[in-house]
Amino acid sequence: MKRSPLCLSLSLLVASSLALLCACSKDPAPASSGGATSPQSITLWWFQWAPADGLQELGREFQKETGIEVVVEQIPLGSYQEKVFLEFGAARTRFDIVIGDSQWIGRGATKKLYLELTDWLPTVVDLKTIHPRAAKYLCEYPEGSGKWFAAPCETDAVGVAYRKDWFEDPAEKAAFQQRFGRPLAVPQTWEEFKDVAQFFQRPDAKRYGCSLPSDRSYDGLTMGVQNLLWAFGGRWHAETSNKVKGELDTPGSVAAIEFYKQLVKLGPKGAERLDYGQVLESFTNGSTAMILNYFAFFPGIHAQFGDKVGFAVVPAHQGKRVASLGGQGLSISSHIPPAQQELSKKFIAWFLQRRVQEQWITKPAGFTANADILKSPEFRAKAPYNGPFAESVDSMQDFWNVPVFNELLAVTQRYVGMAVDGEMPTEEALRKLADEKERILKEAGLL
Amino acid sequence: MRVVRWIVIVLGLLFAALPLVWMGLSSIKHRSDTISQHLRWIPAAEAPTEPESPAFEATLESYRDLQTVHAGAQHSFWHHLWNSVIIGVLSTIASVVLGTLCAYGFSRFRVPGEKDWLFFILSTRFMPPLAVVVPVLIMYRALDLQGSHLGLALLYTVFNLSLAVWLMKGFLDEIPRAYEEAAVVDGYSRFGAFVRVVLPEARTGIAVTAVFCLISAWNEYGFAMTLNSSGAVTVPPYFAGLQGNIEGMPWPQIAAGALIFVTPIVVFTILVRSHLLRGVTFGTVKQ
Amino acid sequence: MGTTATVTRHRGGSAIAWSLVGPTLLLLIAFNVFPLLYNVALSFTNRELVGDESRWVGTANYTRVFSDPLFAAALRRTALFVLCAVGAELLLGFALALALVRDFRLKRTVLAIVLVPMMLSPAVMGLYWALILNGNYGVLNQVLGEIGLPQPQWLTDRDLKFWSIVVIDVWMWTPFMALIALAGLSAIPSHLYEAAEIDRASRWRVFARITLPMTAPLLGLAVLLRATDALKQFDLVMATAGPNDAATQTLSTLMYQVVFRDGKIGLGSAFACVVLVVVIALATVFTRYLDHLRRARET
Repeated sequence: MKRSPLCLSLSLLVASSLALLCACSKDPAPASSGGATSPQSITLWWFQWAPADGLQELGREFQKETGIEVVVEQIPLGSYQEKVFLEFGAARTRFDIVIGDSQWIGRGATKKLYLELTDWLPTVVDLKTIHPRAAKYLCEYPEGSGKWFAAPCETDAVGVAYRKDWFEDPAEKAAFQQRFGRPLAVPQTWEEFKDVAQFFQRPDAKRYGCSLPSDRSYDGLTMGVQNLLWAFGGRWHAETSNKVKGELDTPGSVAAIEFYKQLVKLGPKGAERLDYGQVLESFTNGSTAMILNYFAFFPGIHAQFGDKVGFAVVPAHQGKRVASLGGQGLSISSHIPPAQQELSKKFIAWFLQRRVQEQWITKPAGFTANADILKSPEFRAKAPYNGPFAESVDSMQDFWNVPVFNELLAVTQRYVGMAVDGEMPTEEALRKLADEKERILKEAGLL
Repeated sequence: MRVVRWIVIVLGLLFAALPLVWMGLSSIKHRSDTISQHLRWIPAAEAPTEPESPAFEATLESYRDLQTVHAGAQHSFWHHLWNSVIIGVLSTIASVVLGTLCAYGFSRFRVPGEKDWLFFILSTRFMPPLAVVVPVLIMYRALDLQGSHLGLALLYTVFNLSLAVWLMKGFLDEIPRAYEEAAVVDGYSRFGAFVRVVLPEARTGIAVTAVFCLISAWNEYGFAMTLNSSGAVTVPPYFAGLQGNIEGMPWPQIAAGALIFVTPIVVFTILVRSHLLRGVTFGTVKQ
Repeated sequence: MGTTATVTRHRGGSAIAWSLVGPTLLLLIAFNVFPLLYNVALSFTNRELVGDESRWVGTANYTRVFSDPLFAAALRRTALFVLCAVGAELLLGFALALALVRDFRLKRTVLAIVLVPMMLSPAVMGLYWALILNGNYGVLNQVLGEIGLPQPQWLTDRDLKFWSIVVIDVWMWTPFMALIALAGLSAIPSHLYEAAEIDRASRWRVFARITLPMTAPLLGLAVLLRATDALKQFDLVMATAGPNDAATQTLSTLMYQVVFRDGKIGLGSAFACVVLVVVIALATVFTRYLDHLRRARET
């Protein structure tokens, strides 16, 4: 048999495998088991993004002060939720603290995955220093019940970033004045937002008015739409109950979605399906005048554009302004030994101190829920996005966070998506959505 | 007719190769050039002054950035590539060893119900991963194999066994039995004959089988993403996890990483090119 | 070889034989048969991803599967995907094979390049294709724009999205069809063509009477292999659209959504069982066909 390149590849394979086997035997324990091997170490899970790097830096401070090592593992966002809940299926989770999305808290609390913190938390922190909106949506379940399952970590809200240089361009200002009979300014109402977007929408010059979250794969569209939904007088469910029919399928909700439908047309081509990253990209590639996105992205935008950009709270409708809540809380896994739970509590208590929170807001995209800091003029003066952020926190609201939130979210994405795509009349889509939601809630025993 | 033939060939070549060429170009761009509104396709030494210029500044930044380790864990691209290598090589060795032994058994011995067994082995290849993933997950939880290199390697081994057995059986059937018989006459034991005579004769087959097993383990995504949270994340789920990345997609790094990731596969494909057909048809079709 | 093989086989080595094939069979049973049965059992419960409590719910999950419009839609979409993707791959692959069948300089190199896509990772390449197809800064639309053609929104237009995934699949798997078709074409004895030439048969007649029938068995094999694979389509959809986009949801991604996002293992298992029936049917056809082919070749 002739010596073919195959023999070469075979011998290469064998050689590399031998090398590997040697290497494997010396392979250090994976970082994930860090919590298990050393009693003085805790593992935190978050998804991959800048704030997680900041938290890790803080973790090093914590280690300096207490000797307890903090490992922040960053899981790719695309599958973060699945991974976390898969872990909870095991007897012991590989994280001690999970920085879970606000919407998960119902599942975490009712399935006893998150440790209840109600009795302990007030002993280490004055609960009044936690902004009530952050407490309600990020930490408590049910909302406003006073039962705590998380401590605020990253507090986030949807806001507006805009091209200040375009807004201040004299030629643009004059043209806008002439066309709309009022000066070009940062929009205060959704109607103004639409006018400005329309004004800057110039596809031939590859300039676009606005881009908004509208992705269908997880929660993008819903998080974008609800800013308008609430402002226009619509709601996902009744104030005090989970009733959906007669609450969601109302003229206010219809008007909000109809309006959103018009807004997505004032963006780059294909703006009907943009995830948060793509919304950001449409801004950072210099083509779009305004975007609707989470504040956590704004420090990065500011770093890239400097004075050329400005930041604002979401617009209002007839005086009503509501920002979609984002962000995550720190929850302790119930599937870890008590000793690890104690270490985790130590970290949370340390993290919530005012001096640490003041450090936290200096980290890339670290946003706090500390009411005193949010109120302080120093905080607002520190960065151009801080003022609008503090203002947004006062008006933020969240989607469902009941245990079946995921199914509710999936049907919302689907039906609102059909309405935005024009595949189904908005009234009909909302009526069907309300039916579906009530079915899901009934099955889950929540209605 | 000749013209048509060449048009088809050229189109086929372009269709196959252009995405990979573009990948190479993207990998030497700055991120802003990958998401630029204007077509940028000419690498240049310096950034062009004209905003609409088709040129872009070539840089190897993205390759350097591949080693960026996010604070806290060994989560750079290389870490994931290393996971892919460990899992791929371990499972390849295991499936080739097991597959060769099994194929040898079927090739040289009478096994009751041989045909049924062989078709059972083949049928496992058609199992949709999602039909078994939940039980496997529950099994792995019980055995504490979730998120370990061993767990995925074992799974890929099982997954590749059907291919390994069928391919190796084809190759072993081609080796005349007289060789072994002669060896036994010369005083080798049956095992000795297998090691000294059969295996060397089958080395091409073993190499081809190994390459195919490696490729399928290397490319696997479904199990890799559902069974592993953070312990042994291979490259496909690592990249796929960046989808919807909230800070925007790091396209140059993705292109650079993907290029590094597919290069060994392209090399192997070229090495086994004369046996590709056998590989993709489970050894049932020979060129 | 079949008959001589049996004659010279080692006899009386049944213990050795079992110890050679045993480990493989045991592993396959442990990882396929057992999970399958377990899966069937789970499909009659309301087991969830988190928490241990689960209850026997009879056929409730199956009732739900068959009444769920999402399942019906995913089934239709998957069938359409298999039909269109595999169909296009067959046509294009066959055309490519026809073009490549005659020898020319560099043929081996050209062949190697053309075949590369099918060896690559769908998850990674799918992600990368998302950049190529991006409506605003993707290279495809930029080129289309340069030459003055319309620039469709490949990945955001709900009607186009599905077809974009088909195109990526075609990119990956046309080489596969070409490879197998090429094998079939090369195996046609040249005397058949010579005879046809003497008969002055038209080009079309030669194709319809010789080329096609002689390659059909192998093409059938290729189609079956691809169809069973395409039926499981998961990686590309996940890489370009995620599991929950109504415009592109396939059976596999719907199942993923139900099991891993909604956390409903019981319902997901029922989905899986129904899909499995379809797959088993196809796989049976495949193995029968293979058996038929081998027998045809041996005689």
